[in-house]
Amino acid sequence: MNSLKYQWQICRAVAGVTYKEWSAYRTHSMVSIIVGPVYFMVQYFIWTAVYGDHSLLGGISLPQMIRYFGATALIGYLIMDFADWNLSMLVRTGKFLTFHLRPIHHRSFALFQKIGHRSLGFLFEFLPCLLIFIFIFGVDMRPASFPWTILSVLLAFMMNFYVNYTIGLTSFWLVQSNGIRSAFMLVSGIFSGALIPLDFFPHWLQVTQFFLPFQYIAYMPAMVFTGHYSLGGLELSIQQAVGMQAVAVFITFGFNELVRRLAMKQFTAVGS
Amino acid sequence: MMPVIDVKHLTKTYTTYKRGAGAGQTIRSFFQREEVVIHAVNDISFAIGQGEICGILGPNGAGKSTAIKMLCGALYPTSGEIQVLGYSPAKDRKRYVGKIGAVFGQKSQLIWDIPPIDSFNMNKAIYGITTQDFKRRLEELSELLDIAHVIEKPTRVLSLGERMKCEFVMAMLHQPDILFLDEPTIGLDVIAKVKIREFIQQLNQKRNMTCILTTHDLEDVEELAHRVIVINHGEKVFDDSLQRLKLFLGEKKRVSFTFADSAGKTVFNNAYTKVIDRPSDFQITLEVDTAQISISDFLEDISRKHRFSDISVKELPIQQVVMNIYENAEGVPG
Amino acid sequence: MKRYLEVFKQCMYSAIQAAAAYRMNFIISSLITLAGNILFPLVTLLIYRAGTSFPGWTLYEVLLIQAVFTMSSGLSSLIFGGVLWTTMSHIREGSFEVILLKPLNPLFFIVATTFSTDSIGLFLGGVALFIFSVIQAGAIPLLFWLQFIGLFIAGTAVLAGLSLMMAAMSFKWVGNSRISELADSVLNIGKYPLPIFPKAVQAVATMIIPVGMVGFLPASALLGRVQARDFIAVLPCLLFLAAGVWVYRHMIRLYEGVGG
Repeated sequence: MNSLKYQWQICRAVAGVTYKEWSAYRTHSMVSIIVGPVYFMVQYFIWTAVYGDHSLLGGISLPQMIRYFGATALIGYLIMDFADWNLSMLVRTGKFLTFHLRPIHHRSFALFQKIGHRSLGFLFEFLPCLLIFIFIFGVDMRPASFPWTILSVLLAFMMNFYVNYTIGLTSFWLVQSNGIRSAFMLVSGIFSGALIPLDFFPHWLQVTQFFLPFQYIAYMPAMVFTGHYSLGGLELSIQQAVGMQAVAVFITFGFNELVRRLAMKQFTAVGS
Repeated sequence: MMPVIDVKHLTKTYTTYKRGAGAGQTIRSFFQREEVVIHAVNDISFAIGQGEICGILGPNGAGKSTAIKMLCGALYPTSGEIQVLGYSPAKDRKRYVGKIGAVFGQKSQLIWDIPPIDSFNMNKAIYGITTQDFKRRLEELSELLDIAHVIEKPTRVLSLGERMKCEFVMAMLHQPDILFLDEPTIGLDVIAKVKIREFIQQLNQKRNMTCILTTHDLEDVEELAHRVIVINHGEKVFDDSLQRLKLFLGEKKRVSFTFADSAGKTVFNNAYTKVIDRPSDFQITLEVDTAQISISDFLEDISRKHRFSDISVKELPIQQVVMNIYENAEGVPG
Repeated sequence: MKRYLEVFKQCMYSAIQAAAAYRMNFIISSLITLAGNILFPLVTLLIYRAGTSFPGWTLYEVLLIQAVFTMSSGLSSLIFGGVLWTTMSHIREGSFEVILLKPLNPLFFIVATTFSTDSIGLFLGGVALFIFSVIQAGAIPLLFWLQFIGLFIAGTAVLAGLSLMMAAMSFKWVGNSRISELADSVLNIGKYPLPIFPKAVQAVATMIIPVGMVGFLPASALLGRVQARDFIAVLPCLLFLAAGVWVYRHMIRLYEGVGG
């Protein structure tokens, strides 16, 4: 119990410092207030044109589709991080050593940093864009179920973190992890569902998504938000979808822990 | 003598805005911003003749860099006048900068990923240097600076000293009439510093090239300059010969010892030494007046009393120089 | 003029040398951008695969728009892509004087020295996509090709103008590495048939920020789908580039502190 309290204190301190540190750049994150709505607007008109006189596409109606894109944009602001970039920078410059000497895992530290960083994102990116979507575009942004959506977004938050952190860990073996990172970002951009709902993919690609991390980061929470999840012919209730997401996060965490231990072995062996 | 550089009442001010920290203050600052006017350079006048080496000294943030940027034509003065070689630097910038050379110690002009020779070729194109001139000058410069063996290696693998020498070649290929140097020896080791200073002296003596250098290293000025201008908080506080600066400062050095035995009982303050810092009985920094006792005599004296494991001899720090000048301000004629 | 050509040649040479210094990295990142751009029309592909469409446009016609868009971005990014990053880092580190110390037009110098070999993948990806989709369009008369080239150049001018405007912004918004997202978001409009947007957006995208010229209009010219009045839109494109040049130069002047 005591250790939990201790962790909580560290978390508050690290998140607080990160929040203050990034506050200096808060106007930078406000770029999102223009970028987010512009992307959303383009999506809005593309899909309005595409629907034409179809009432349903892939089992989704136009208003649902618009809600879906609003949700993926907003969820993105809540869960994004650059743990991969940050970790690879620390390894490349040798600063990782300073974390190795502290009585706390760098992974926990990075997670607390993300909490601080996203609190700022909540205020300066998420809230303004949410208000713009609701009051300017007139989109109904009420989730099908508040508690399940929040839970799903939290799981996506962790999922994204563990996945990115694992990518960052590869820099203990590779000098230039940039190639891997941009290739991964490319694939994840397509399969996260932010561009097009995964229902539109060929059936076999949809099925493979169950075994890849991408859909659990954006597609699943956005579908939970709309209250209707289907992929690869599988229809799940919100509760089932969130349960499945939790299992995926758990597995990813296990995998991350494994890679992290190997990386630490590598680190202490090479000492770079 | 006609001055090549003539500066009259040069002033540069910046306006910045105060920025709050909290979310509330951010929103407020959108509507109402509090102006802060900074006088980076404040009413400075001086003239420099052909062939002079003039050192501009001052602590960090004194306005040296702003002044040299205006002299190079990169910044417009807020008010006042600059004439260099008959040009108004900022107004006639494109024609003017072809006549001067500049080395900024912390701002490299070399291209990082490719050998210096390619950067030199770039400058050949930029300054329209003929192939014949280029070859001759490059040969001459690389011999003077002893860098013939490094110019074909990628810049990123060169040592800081080698890189700085290449920066000098960059600045000298088009044979400028005036050379501007901003902290040219910053971060260099002793040998590289000496080599660079020798090079500057040779250029000055052979070509009668005028040279302006800003620095916060008193040694640069002692070794090179004929003339010294000291700037503090944007204002000129001293402008005279090096000899006269030395009169103000006295010939003082700072000597730091790490003793092997306790120096607790020894009295160091006397007619020619003064204790500056004494964090423990084993670590002591003294200011020694070398007009009264030579460094070697002084060290002999100390070594008779104590054994020491480490020692360093340094010039007075620039802050001390400025303070000495203020203290003696009544004595400055005119 | 001869000197400027000489400088540009030397800069291209240096850029290629620098890319060659990190050969592997260069090849891998070029391949990734190339792959990324071949995947870019995926959304369009999936939309058509689902049995629906952008009304009035076949799949290959939309692909052609996106191919032209990618080629145009690649070309502009080769020449102007580095201006934003270089300006940004010079401003952040306070070393912009290095550019002002050269006896050249500073805008020219910065464009010349930032030739972005990285974007070659982007350009080639666009070319590949273009060849693939233009073959489907059947025989295209020479006149259409000429119209296409004219509009393509105008579109690239718009991209150049945008790059300069973003770079100009970095003088004031110091160190904001997200500035380029602003341009990217607006450009998104140019990737799709313009008529799907409401009239107001169409007007903005042809007259004020003419992103319609980047992909949509030149592709329409190849397909013979432009009208005489569409060529008027070339004018705002040139004005847009001129505005970009003006804003950037204005920022340099402010940096120099003209008139305090």
